[in-house]
Amino acid sequence: MLGVLIAVVPAQAASPPGVLVIAQSLDDLVSLDPAEGFELSSVQTFTNVYQRLVQPDPDHPASLLPALASRWQADPGARSLTFELAADARFAGGNPVRPEDVIFSLSRAVKLNRAPVFILNELGWNAGNVDGALRKIDARHVRLSWDAPVGPALALNILTAPVASILDTRETLAHAVGEDLGNAWLRAHSAGSGPFKIRRYIPHEALVLDANPNAPGGAPRLQTIVIKNVTDAATRRLLVAVGDADIARDLGPDQIAALGQDSQVETLVFPSAMIDYLMFNTANPDNAALRNPALWEAARWLIDYDGIAAKLLRGEYFVHQAFLAQGFPGGLAATPYHLDIAKARSILAAAGIEPGLRITLDVINQPPYGDIALSLQASFAQAGITLEIVPELAGELYTKIRARNEQAVWLYWVPDYFDANSTASAFAANREDGTKTLAWRAGWRIPALSAATAAAATETDPATRIEDYLAIQREVQQRSPFVIAFQARNEVVLRKGIHGYREGLDADMVYYDRISK
Amino acid sequence: MSRAFKLPLATLARGLLTMATTLACLLLVTFALSSLTPIDPALRALGDHASASAYTEMRHRLGLDAPWPQRFARYTGRLLHGDLGIAESTGQPVAEDLRHVFPATLELATLAMLVSAIAGLALGLLSAWRPRGVLDGVVRIVSLFGSSLPAFWLGLVALYFFYARLHWAGGPGRLDDAYEYTLDLDSGFVLLDTWRSGVPGAFANAWAHLALPVLVLAAYAVGQVTRMTRAALLSEAGKEYVTLARAKGARPARILVHHLLPNTRGLILTVLALTYASLLEGAVLVETVFAWPGVGRYLTTALLAADTAAILGATLVIGCSFVVINGLTDALVRALDPRLR
Repeated sequence: MLGVLIAVVPAQAASPPGVLVIAQSLDDLVSLDPAEGFELSSVQTFTNVYQRLVQPDPDHPASLLPALASRWQADPGARSLTFELAADARFAGGNPVRPEDVIFSLSRAVKLNRAPVFILNELGWNAGNVDGALRKIDARHVRLSWDAPVGPALALNILTAPVASILDTRETLAHAVGEDLGNAWLRAHSAGSGPFKIRRYIPHEALVLDANPNAPGGAPRLQTIVIKNVTDAATRRLLVAVGDADIARDLGPDQIAALGQDSQVETLVFPSAMIDYLMFNTANPDNAALRNPALWEAARWLIDYDGIAAKLLRGEYFVHQAFLAQGFPGGLAATPYHLDIAKARSILAAAGIEPGLRITLDVINQPPYGDIALSLQASFAQAGITLEIVPELAGELYTKIRARNEQAVWLYWVPDYFDANSTASAFAANREDGTKTLAWRAGWRIPALSAATAAAATETDPATRIEDYLAIQREVQQRSPFVIAFQARNEVVLRKGIHGYREGLDADMVYYDRISK
Repeated sequence: MSRAFKLPLATLARGLLTMATTLACLLLVTFALSSLTPIDPALRALGDHASASAYTEMRHRLGLDAPWPQRFARYTGRLLHGDLGIAESTGQPVAEDLRHVFPATLELATLAMLVSAIAGLALGLLSAWRPRGVLDGVVRIVSLFGSSLPAFWLGLVALYFFYARLHWAGGPGRLDDAYEYTLDLDSGFVLLDTWRSGVPGAFANAWAHLALPVLVLAAYAVGQVTRMTRAALLSEAGKEYVTLARAKGARPARILVHHLLPNTRGLILTVLALTYASLLEGAVLVETVFAWPGVGRYLTTALLAADTAAILGATLVIGCSFVVINGLTDALVRALDPRLR
């Protein structure tokens, strides 16, 4: 059989001209409807297929750039924003972008009430009040208002989230079935104004994007992007090494190292906003030691930060000990903790925590979490603490921590939109009103810190806001049941000759429009 | 109606009843197991950051607010109307997903089965020809390797040498990108669709991509078929009627063709059928390494996502395949072996 193939297979593989082939896992992708999709693969697609009113500058994400809105104005009471739509804005299908499209898109996302809606809920919008909060002023102006304690800076950042993508109302409703507002159709098609449009989506197989001729700022440099679902990292490595893929994502340290000697590929490294942390669940009634702040403090000195980053994670992460990632406005750069067994022992002894303490540690059963857990087990053991590692499926782990049934857990966090509030309201707010923030999951009762976090969300002065978040991060870094340890880097392997690939800090910040080959 | 006509009808009806009962039990057990897993499907579908109202609504949409027996009754009710539900892990109707992934697996498994049947039978015969001879030793070692090497390892090594280094075979996926997204793969069988498309090079390209996964999948099955064929032939060869045939001066080839093979074909057919059925559902690792969008990978992804509708749909398809293959084999063995009639 192989002998026959020698005659029919071309001697050297290469991706077709004008087509960018990306090898990555698409197994996470559930929906390409921006009101529903909240997975890594879908939010990366939304950035390239849809536009929002405003979007972060790809090169300087802390600055906002006009997108579908050419300008905007906050009202003096800081509870509404008026947007002027760009005069030449058009959807890929040719329809002009109107205030009605903005109102429909945001209202639709709230009413569908799917995974990412909580981002828009932060503005106080719900199915009952959202229509009253969105008003057309004239043919090019639309006003968005809200009741929640949210300042205009935060509101603008919330509107940069993929769930706030603007859809072509006419195209979407033309494909609506019953009351689904076009949801079934949009799961595999697009109705946006971004640089690309979806040509074809085959679940678990491939996503094909075509250039949008009406793209903002001119058509993209490449006509077609093919994102292939290749779930095995070693296979992705082979594809990019041979040339059948132009870009390979999510390769492990072994694959990256193996490609290091290949002159036909290069590895680009982009910092990511993902952070890894250890959390003690103080609400767990089975282990009283978890409620003792001395255990949290000792744990900060019981992690071999440098060893894990250098030897286990090998470039995929670096040491970072605050909840806002480096690169975020207000990110705290200080890394005061390192492995110090003697210090940890003395803290535990002073607090009366005897050697022999046992704690179960839940981790996701995927690399690199198992290796990290083993390192923690070894270093904690030196201070007399036995960590019993429980590796689980991610779904199982999240089910457990949502019910606060775990004792300690090693997890990662990715912000939902590019604003400090996204992360601060998870780590440093426990409103005890049923909102299951991370602080609630840790059972950390912090009325004063929660109030400070809420106040920072409404702060209108940028410098003061940054100071507020620095103070909140120091509190979490020094006195919380969270031990934040690492920040991730995304390593992307490209064939030589691929230019213009960009990635930002947040999960959705992947840009294909300037890529050439 | 004649008695001769009634009997097959009764047999057919019994067979269909057995099949329906088997599938119903399979679905019930799968549903119960899916419901007992410690994964919250609503949380898995929405992610960890979802709001309480979205979470509650999703639980309602998935029917999780009802006890599982009630959900099962609702599911079977819809199933009887041909509705397999929506797969939360793909966002598409399960029936549509299966229409896409099952032909991919069927094509792969069928070709692997053909290769392994031909090679396995030939090697089994060679091995049984001179038991404990040099050839027998070589065949046994080769078949042992085939059955013991992990499929993902063998797949990666095959890809590395024959695709990446030698460029003899196509890479992962069913076609090169130049064909993959321009051709309509209507039937889901890539060989058939590329043949019908008439696009120059597409059919050869489909073969180039099929070769490695077929051979890697067949490597495991070859070992299985070889060892079972050898064992069946040797066991039969020790019987008295074979000794008698030898004593009467029959040549070994005649003994093989006229005595051993007819008397072992039932067993060999059963082994082939079981191997085929296991290839249909057990190609997960090969499908993963070769980025092959088949039913094994679909089921695995659904299991990890606690996607009950997709799990049940894929289980149903695989279960049906098992039942159909077993039924056909049973009928064939009965037809070929007068002792079983």
